[in-house]
Amino acid sequence: MPREVEISIIEREFIQNALQEGIRRDGREFDAFRPLELNFGDEYGVADVQLGKTRVIVRISVDVVAPPPERKFDGVFQIVTEFSPMASPAFEVGRPTDAEVILSRVLEKAIRRSNALDTESLCIIAGLKCFALRADVHIVDHDGGLIDASCIAVMAALQHFRRPDVIVEGEKATVLSTRERDPIPLSILHQPLSVTFSYYEEGNLFLVDADLAEEQVRQGEIIITMNRHGEICQVNKYGGAPVEPLDLLNLNNVALQKVKDISKFIQQKLDEDAKKRDAGGLMAELSAENAR
Amino acid sequence: MHPTTQLSPLHRADGSATYTSNGYTIIGAVNGPIEVQRRDELPTEATLEVNVRPAVGVGSPRERHLETLLHGALRSVVLTESLPRSLVQITLQVSGMPSEEGDCGVSSSLSILPHLLHTALLALLSASIPLSTILTAALVVIPSSSSTPLVSPTANQLLRAKPIRSAHVFAFSGDGSLLMNESDGVFSLQEWDEAVEATEEVCCKEEGGVGLSEGMEVDGREGGSLDTWLREVVRGKVNWEMRWKTAR
Amino acid sequence: MTTAGKIVNNEIHLQSIHHQQTQPHQLHPPEHSDGEPETKKQEMPLDTSTYSLALLRLDGRRWNELRRIHAQINTQAAADGSSYLEMGNTKVLCTVTGPAEGRQAGQRGAKDNEAKVEVEIGFAGFSGLERRKRKSDKRTLEMQHTLSTAYSSLLLTHLYPHSTITLTLHILSQDGSMLAACINASTLALIDAGIPMSDYLVACTAASSATTSDSDNSDPLLDLNNLEEQELPFLTVGTLGRSDKVSVLICESRVRMERMESMLAVGIDGCKRMREILDGVVKEYGKRFS
Repeated sequence: MPREVEISIIEREFIQNALQEGIRRDGREFDAFRPLELNFGDEYGVADVQLGKTRVIVRISVDVVAPPPERKFDGVFQIVTEFSPMASPAFEVGRPTDAEVILSRVLEKAIRRSNALDTESLCIIAGLKCFALRADVHIVDHDGGLIDASCIAVMAALQHFRRPDVIVEGEKATVLSTRERDPIPLSILHQPLSVTFSYYEEGNLFLVDADLAEEQVRQGEIIITMNRHGEICQVNKYGGAPVEPLDLLNLNNVALQKVKDISKFIQQKLDEDAKKRDAGGLMAELSAENAR
Repeated sequence: MHPTTQLSPLHRADGSATYTSNGYTIIGAVNGPIEVQRRDELPTEATLEVNVRPAVGVGSPRERHLETLLHGALRSVVLTESLPRSLVQITLQVSGMPSEEGDCGVSSSLSILPHLLHTALLALLSASIPLSTILTAALVVIPSSSSTPLVSPTANQLLRAKPIRSAHVFAFSGDGSLLMNESDGVFSLQEWDEAVEATEEVCCKEEGGVGLSEGMEVDGREGGSLDTWLREVVRGKVNWEMRWKTAR
Repeated sequence: MTTAGKIVNNEIHLQSIHHQQTQPHQLHPPEHSDGEPETKKQEMPLDTSTYSLALLRLDGRRWNELRRIHAQINTQAAADGSSYLEMGNTKVLCTVTGPAEGRQAGQRGAKDNEAKVEVEIGFAGFSGLERRKRKSDKRTLEMQHTLSTAYSSLLLTHLYPHSTITLTLHILSQDGSMLAACINASTLALIDAGIPMSDYLVACTAASSATTSDSDNSDPLLDLNNLEEQELPFLTVGTLGRSDKVSVLICESRVRMERMESMLAVGIDGCKRMREILDGVVKEYGKRFS
């Protein structure tokens, strides 16, 4: 396992000097995300997010299992993040780096612990059968901002996913294939999204969505996860240079604006995808709703 | 249909390729030659490391088995002697599979193997790792109902052809010699010979050759073997890289 | 207690406390809570599921009281530095080894120009309510990462190139504010080890309680125990003692962003008091040598 190449002194100084002059390496505003792209696969629940050169693919899959005995009325939902050498040769299979642990913890807290997904809706028969939902996060290309990109990808994939319908007759549950009945979307309670701030100059300068080189130069990071209603799901500042508390509070407002923008973007992409899938307007015809 | 492929879609890896064929989508990345850990270091040649990662879940013995097969086949293709004491790291991420894969009666590690081999080769090409030859591979199945082998069938065709007596994967090198074989099921030596022949036709038939087997029609494009397809891909890559010279 | 007059009384106090929150420097003078329920003052505005109408928290504290802090320094003779810290029923033992040559100095050791901070956290089997063998799960790894990054930037690591400073923490008893207790214990142990640092890194937890989720009238609480942590949204804040500057901030629960301010203000104030307590411990220990 080769070590991650450290940024050279001259590059480090270049980035720092440019920041002092108010310029980012790629000419972005300090509070601007890199161009965000989101594509959905042919199957339900596959989201491919590109944030600048960073690329993350999330695939949601579902299985039917027996629920854990201590939580009979819940389904199972897990997010699996495993770095592969594809993103960086420094990542080794089976030996999680600090970055990997943090990513999986942040996703866990942001999405699972904040109850973004209503796990009770995954229950089929209490104590006997439930859906086990699984989100596999594949980091394909790594150029910084992994947490933000993964969070967007997981949330987009969850909203895109459709689970098969079930018929329950007493103790017997039949899972219907997609051909028999249209699969149904998951019940999503809110949409948490992460914004990572990197800071420089002893906490006087904050950047949104730093790329890999900027990440290597930064003095610390603050990860804020919130939904578009202004509810914070988590804040993480793991050490690093100290920051004025007022600045921290201001970051919340910036994060809220970003989260609103990204939520809107995801929704727009979902709508586009739905339109594409519903090419003949068949769904509208079959729908029982009518304009009264 | 021939596979569709895109070379070097990733920024970070030294070489990469996306590959789509018969419902399989695979992303391959190659890092190399890079520093090798001392316990893996070989004094006279490069160490090859193959990682196969499934679309869903973490690696299982199935992936480890595939890695061993790929490692064996690729080691005879890569010129490891020219990169001593270094590491060539190949990562293959499966990102899409045909939904019928589970119940088409062929071991899933066999049906995906040719696609993994192609992706790995394309990624190696993209990373400009020295290779001694190219490689083409195909799956061939012999259904119980008829003795005519089906070459690179789609998952749907497999479903219809069920039950299946035996399945084979053959890989051929650029000069047409058999590089790798992995067979599963019950078959006679004669059937095996037929299977090799049928696959050879699909993989490395010279252009303008005579006689189209049934497999070729299945393959879709007439006259183009996988070998021709692969050479076309390489030609495209070279053209792109030499565009500074050819452009006016 | 439950008369309307009382409630009116509550609201008046509630406002006065909100006034104080916006100016955290003017909060009550530091006080060492000795855990005795102080029933004489009835100005507690708290009225949530965990707080009875007696206006006191479950363990009898008021909203801005720390639990009893007991700390010792230089407890393990064999270690380069050590400390023992109790925050209420949370008990942590910390030892520091180093700066020393790392286990794998060449391979995974520090950068060439500064020391590496390694952290190991172990939970005693008897530390929680249920006896459970905790392997190093992701939560522990995250805590280790937090401590390691926080101290890497706080300690003057550039004085010790090519070396490793190892912090080993043993959790003897868990009752909330785990991360905060770990940080405080580590600071003491590092002081004992004589590793130069720019200021005390001290931490405590603060929560926000309110009857309804979107009510504006949320009341902050300082230094939570286990029950309160499970019930209320809370954050762990670590500051460089004397200044207001925040070095560590971990919030793991869903909370309205408007409530952040009051939680942060109370937390930072708690850190200030915590610093004085720890400073007292260090100075007391130092007297032995004068």
